[in-house]
Amino acid sequence: MTYRLIVITIVTSLITPTGFCQSHFTDVTEAAGIKHVFKVFEGMFGGGACVLDYNNDGYEDLYITGGMNDDILYKNNGNGTFTNVSEQAGLAITKKYVTQGVAGADVNRDGFVDLFITTITLRNEKKAIPREINIFLLNNGNGTFRDATSEYGLDSLYSFSTGGSFGDFNADGWPDLYVGNYFNEYYGKLSYINDNTLVGANQIAKGYLLLNEKGKRFKNVYADYKLDFRGFGFGGVFTDFDNDGDQDLIVNHDFGYKRTPNMLLENHYPRSNFKDVAKSFGMDVKINSMGAAVGDFNNDGWMDYFITNIHFNWFMVNQGNGKGFVNKSTELGTHFFAISWGANFGDFDQDGDLDLFVANGDLNPYCVAMADFYFVNTGNHFEDKARQAGLNDYGIGRGSVMFDYDNDGDQDLLVVNQEPVLTYPVPSVTHLYRNDSATGNWIKISLKGIQAESHGIGSKIEIEAGGKKMIREIDGGGSSHISQNSVIAHFGLGKISKIDKITVYWTGGNKQSIINVAANQSITISEIPREKWNYNLIYIIVGLIAVAAGVIYWRNVKSKP
Amino acid sequence: MISTVYNRKVIILIMLAGGLFSSCKQADEKIPEDYEVATAWADMTNYIAKTTPSNTPTFSSRCLGYIGYTMYESVVNSSTEYQSVAPELNGLGALPMPEEGIKYKWVLSLNAGQAEILRNIYIQTSDENKSKIDSLEQHFEKLFRDKNPKDSNDNKSIEYGRMIAQRIFEWSKTDGGHRGYLKNFDKALVFKERPGCWRPPLYAQSFSHFPLHPHWGKNRTFIASDSAISDPAFISYDTVPGSAYYNQFKQVYEKEKVLTQKEKETAIWWSDDPDETFTPPGHSYYLATLAIRKTKPDIVKCAETYARVGIAVADAFRNCWKWKYQFFSERPNTFIPEHIDIEWHSFWPDPPFPAFPSGHAIQASAAATVLADLYGERFEITDSAHVGRKRDELRNADFVVRHFNSFWEVAEETANSRFYGGIHTPQDNKIGLEKGKEIANNVNKLNWKRKPINPI
Repeated sequence: MTYRLIVITIVTSLITPTGFCQSHFTDVTEAAGIKHVFKVFEGMFGGGACVLDYNNDGYEDLYITGGMNDDILYKNNGNGTFTNVSEQAGLAITKKYVTQGVAGADVNRDGFVDLFITTITLRNEKKAIPREINIFLLNNGNGTFRDATSEYGLDSLYSFSTGGSFGDFNADGWPDLYVGNYFNEYYGKLSYINDNTLVGANQIAKGYLLLNEKGKRFKNVYADYKLDFRGFGFGGVFTDFDNDGDQDLIVNHDFGYKRTPNMLLENHYPRSNFKDVAKSFGMDVKINSMGAAVGDFNNDGWMDYFITNIHFNWFMVNQGNGKGFVNKSTELGTHFFAISWGANFGDFDQDGDLDLFVANGDLNPYCVAMADFYFVNTGNHFEDKARQAGLNDYGIGRGSVMFDYDNDGDQDLLVVNQEPVLTYPVPSVTHLYRNDSATGNWIKISLKGIQAESHGIGSKIEIEAGGKKMIREIDGGGSSHISQNSVIAHFGLGKISKIDKITVYWTGGNKQSIINVAANQSITISEIPREKWNYNLIYIIVGLIAVAAGVIYWRNVKSKP
Repeated sequence: MISTVYNRKVIILIMLAGGLFSSCKQADEKIPEDYEVATAWADMTNYIAKTTPSNTPTFSSRCLGYIGYTMYESVVNSSTEYQSVAPELNGLGALPMPEEGIKYKWVLSLNAGQAEILRNIYIQTSDENKSKIDSLEQHFEKLFRDKNPKDSNDNKSIEYGRMIAQRIFEWSKTDGGHRGYLKNFDKALVFKERPGCWRPPLYAQSFSHFPLHPHWGKNRTFIASDSAISDPAFISYDTVPGSAYYNQFKQVYEKEKVLTQKEKETAIWWSDDPDETFTPPGHSYYLATLAIRKTKPDIVKCAETYARVGIAVADAFRNCWKWKYQFFSERPNTFIPEHIDIEWHSFWPDPPFPAFPSGHAIQASAAATVLADLYGERFEITDSAHVGRKRDELRNADFVVRHFNSFWEVAEETANSRFYGGIHTPQDNKIGLEKGKEIANNVNKLNWKRKPINPI
C-alpha cells in the first residue's frame, strides 16, 4: 500500500508539468557542518543571521546569533561545508550577552564587512531590568574582529534591542544604522533601582538612528532627524518605497493595534529629516509586525512589502506614484494562519518573478508546531509549496536569510530556529537548505560603491531582459526578521540567456548602465564616480537667476505706462 | 492624548483646590464639604492607579480595598451610629481607638490617612505622583487647620489618621499581594496543557505570554467568609457542535458578526485597559464617587461607601483569580479559530489570563451590590469616565457617555461588554455576576452600624 502510494506520487510528479519545474530544496544542515539553535532568554525574542563574506574569499559566510547560546561565525569553506571560526575570529565578547539580531556593513570602508549585533541583557548576570549595550565588531581584515563598541560611541546606549539595519540615509557612502528597541532605554545604575524604576521598565521605546561619522563614530541623530516616536520595536528596513532615489525607512512595531503602528518614514534627503507618511500611504499597519521582506513581486518597478505577523501576514502591494499600499494577502494566496517572523523575496525557481519564503514559529514557552511557508509566484498569485519543496520545517522559526552559499547561481536558505523551552513534538534547530532547482537562467550582481556604500547597500539594480524589467535593492539588514540577506543581487531569468541592460541607481543619485550581459554568471559592477554637486554653487546660481528675473520684471513693470 | 485628558482632569482638580484655597484666604469662606474631600481623594486614588506603570486590575483592586477601608477607619469614630469593622476582618484585630475626651477634626484624619496609605501602597509610583499626593494633603491641611494652633487638636487628628493608615498598611503586607506589581508574571510557572486549557493569547493586550498573577487566588481575603464561597460550576469541555460548551463559543462568534455601533461603544468603554486607564475596579470606585457627589452624604457614609466598594472589588478579584487558575479555561480566541473559524479573532484583544469567570463581571456585580445596599436599587447614574478620549480608530468607535437607572444595570452592561468584545462567553459573565453578589453580601453583612442597645 505504502509502496503503491509512493509510486503514484512519483508518477504524478513526473507527469504533472508544474511538478517538473518545481524547485526543490535539500536540507544540508548536517552535511554542511551547521550545528546551531537559538536559546531564548525568559521569553520569545530573538534569533537572526547575517550573510557576509568576512574574509573576502568570494564565498559567503554566516554570522548567527545564539541568544543564551553562543553566537557562531561560520566560515564558508567553498566546498559546501562551513567551519565554526568563532574562537579564532575573536568573538568571545559576544558570549557575555544575550544576543538577538545581526547586520553587517563595511562601516569604516576598509574593504571588510563589520558586524553590529543587538543584545538585550547579560547572559551570566541576572539584572533587575534587562538592558545592555549592543556590540559593534570591527573586521581587522585578517580573519579576526575586535570589539569597537566604545570607540564608535555605542557604549552608553543601554537598550533592549531587537534588530539593526544598515542603510545610507544621508547618501554619503558611509553606512548608517537604524536600531529597533522593544522596551525603553535604561541608563540607571543597579544601585538606584527601586520599585518605581522596575514598574517603568517595560514601556515602549524609541529606536536609534545612528549616523556614521565618516567611519569613525556613530552618532544618535534620532531627534535631529525629527523622530520622536516610541513603540515595541522589531527593527526596520531602509528601502526606497517612492522611487525618489533616497532611502526611506519602514519601522516594524509589535502590538500596533494597541500601541504604535508601523511607521513609513519618508526621507527628505538632502534635508536632514524623516517624516512619517504611514497613514496617508496605508502603511500604518496595526498588527504584531515582526519584519518586512522587500521585493517587487509583480515587476511593476515599485517595491512591495510582505509584513510578518501573528495570525495572518500582510502583503502590502505598492500602488505606485504616491497611491499608497493595499494589503492583498488574500487575493495573492498568502493568507494562511501562522506566527511568522523572517520572510524573503527571492526568485528561488528562477523563472523571472519573486517567490517568497516565510519562517514560522510559535511563542516560547508554549509552542504548537507550525510549518514554514514557501510561496511560489505563479504570476500574480502565490501557492504554498513548502511540503513539495522540502521547506515545511516545523521547528520554532525566527530569522531567515537567502544567499548562494555554494556559488551555483541559485538562492539557498538559512532558517534560524529557537530551542523549545518545554516539550515539543519535533526537533527545532537551525536549517541550511540547498536550492536544487536546476531550471532557469540567472545572474548575480555584486556592487562596488566608490562614492556610494561600498557593497551597494541602499542602491538599486534594474535589469531589462526579454522585454521585462526587474529591480532589486541591496539589503543592509532587515528585509527579513532581525537578519540580513546576501548583498549580492540575484535575478532569475527563465529561458532568457542575455540581459539587454543593467542599470545601477547608486545611493546619492549616481546612475550607470551596462548593456548586453550574458546570463548564468556572477558579475561585479564598480561605481564610476562623478563630480559631486556643489550645493553652494547651485544656491548662488539660483540666487543670481532670481535676482536677474526680479530686475527684468521690475523693469518691465516700470516701463509700462 | 489620553494622558492629556487625564492631566486636564488633574489640573482642574488642582485649580479647584487652589481656588478654594485662595478664596478661603481672602474671605474665610467656601471650605469644602467633607464629601468633597473624600471624593478628591478617590479621584487622586484613581489618578495614581492610571498613571502608575505595570498596574493591573488585581493589584489595583487590592489597593482600593485598603485605601477605602483606611478612609472608613480614619473617621468611623466620629459617629455614634457606626463602628469599626476591624475585628471582623481577616486577621487584622482591633484598631486603636481615639483618645477619650478629645474633639477630633475628622476631615483632617481622613486627609492624613488617605495620603499615608496612598504613599505606602503605591510606593512604586513616580516622584511626580508622590508630590501630587503630598500637595493634596497639604492643601486640605492648610484649609482645615485652626487659625490658632494653641489648644488645637489638629495634630492629634492628623496623627490618628496617619496611624490608622500605617496599621492597615502593616496588615496589608502579609496578604500575599504586597508589592504584587513586581510579580505580575511568574516566568518560572509551567502549566499543564490539556484540551480546553488557556493558551497565551495571539491577539493580545500584553506582550507577556505568561498569565497574570497566577498565585493571586492564594492571597488573604479581607473577609474570611469570602474565601469559603463555594466553587462555581463550569460547563464541561466539548468540541461537538451543538454541545453546551461549543454553544458558549458559538454565541460569541455569532455576536461578533452583528455587533451594533452601540455595542462596540460599550465594548471599548468598559475595557478599562490597565495600561491606559484606572482599571475595571477603578471604574467601580469612580461609580462610588458619582453616588457620593450626587447624594452628598456625611463623612462616615462617604468613607463607608469607598470601604465597601474597595473591599468588595478586592475580594471579588481575589476569588475570581482563584477560580481562573483552578479552571484555567480557554478564551474564545483559542476555541473559535480551532473549532469554528480559523480567520476569527475577537473585537477586543485578549488580556493575559484565563477566562472563567469574568473579572469584569464579578467586580462590577460586587460593587453594584454594595452600592445598591447603600443608595437603593434605583439610582440614576451618568458615567462620563472616558468622555474626551480619542476615538478608537481601529474599531471605529467613540467613547460615549453612559446613562443608567440602577447600579445593577451598570454591572450587567460591564459584563455584557466583555461578551461584545469577544473575550468572554456567556457563562464567564453569568457566573461572574452571581459570585460577585455573594462576595458583596458578605461585605454588606459586616457590622458597619452599632446594634441598637435594647432598653431594659
